[in-house]
Amino acid sequence: MDVLILAAEACDTAKEIICKPGNVVELFEHKEALFSIGPFDFTRTVFLTFLAMVIVLIALFVAFRKPRVVPTKFGVIMESIVSFVRDDVAKGTIGPEGSRYAPYLLSIFLFILVGNLFELTPFINFPLTSRMAIPGMLSLFTYLIFVGVGFSKNGMSYLWGIIWPKSVPIGLRWLVGLIEFVSYFFLRPLTLAVRLFANLVAGHLMLTLLLGSGWLFFASVGDIGPRAVIGLPWFAFGLAIFVFEFVVAVLQAYIFTLLSAVYIQTSVHPEH
Amino acid sequence: MIELKGAIALIGYGLAAIGPGIGIGIVVGNAIQAMARQPEAAAVARTTMFLGIAFTEALALIGFVLFFIA
Repeated sequence: MDVLILAAEACDTAKEIICKPGNVVELFEHKEALFSIGPFDFTRTVFLTFLAMVIVLIALFVAFRKPRVVPTKFGVIMESIVSFVRDDVAKGTIGPEGSRYAPYLLSIFLFILVGNLFELTPFINFPLTSRMAIPGMLSLFTYLIFVGVGFSKNGMSYLWGIIWPKSVPIGLRWLVGLIEFVSYFFLRPLTLAVRLFANLVAGHLMLTLLLGSGWLFFASVGDIGPRAVIGLPWFAFGLAIFVFEFVVAVLQAYIFTLLSAVYIQTSVHPEH
Repeated sequence: MIELKGAIALIGYGLAAIGPGIGIGIVVGNAIQAMARQPEAAAVARTTMFLGIAFTEALALIGFVLFFIA
C-alpha cells in the first residue's frame, strides 16, 4: 500500500506479442533494404515514393491529355480537384496572385493524398508519410518558398516587420516580436511536418495494433480454445478505425496544403 | 511513502491532451455558431475553422510524439 502504481506497463515479456517499443528508434525502424546501390539503400519507402509520383503523373496525364469541351468522367474528377486547389485554396487565401503558387500546392496536395491513401490499399498498408523524411522534406520546401518570397518581395522590411511590429503598443513590441520571430521561422515548419507525420503514425499504429491483435486472437484458437472470440471487438474496432482513416488522410492533405497557402499569404501580404 | 511506478509518459500525454481537446471544441463551436448566424459566410468560416483546428491540434501532436520519446 505504499506503492501507488499508475498506468502499469502491461507488457508480458514471456509471451511478448505486442509491446510498446522499447525506444523510439524502433518506431523509425531501418528495415533491411531491399537492395542497395552504393551508399543508397532502396527500402520500401523509396519504392513507394516513386510509385506515388508515378500514380500522380499518370492521373494528371490521363485526365488532361486531350482537352475536350465536355470532359470525360475521370476528367471531371481531376478538374474538380485542380479547380478546388487553385480557386479555393490558392486564390482564396493568397489572393489574385495565388495562381503562381497553384502548381506547387496542387503537387503537394496530390502527393500527400496518394501517400496517405497508401495506408488503406490492400497490399501496401504503409502510409508513405509515416517516415519523417517525407513530411519533413515537404515542409522544408514550403519553408523555403515562404521565406524566399517574403524576402524577395519585401526586402529586409519583412524581417523588421516581424521583429518590431508597429501595430503593438511600444512597451510590448520586443516580446511580441520575439514570439513572432520564433513562431515564423522555427515553429511553423516544425509543426507543419510533425502534424502530418504524427497523425499518420497514430493511424498506422492503431490499425496495426487493433487488426493485428484481433487476428492474433483468432489465429491462436488452438492455444486458448473458445476464448479466442475476445479478438472480435478488437477486430471490429480496427475496421471502424480503418474507415476513419479515410477522413484523416484527406483532411491532413488538405490542411497541409491550406497551411502552406496561408504561410505564403503572410509572406506576400505582410501587412496583415 | 507513496511511490509512483509505471508508465508516466502515458499520464503525461493524457494531461497534455486536455487543453487541445477543449480548445478544438471552442473553435468548432464558435465556427458552427458563425455558420448558423450568417450562412453566406459559411465558406470563410469553414476555412478558418480548419486553420484553427490545425493550430490547436499541433500541441496535442507534439505531446503524442514526446510520449514515444519518453
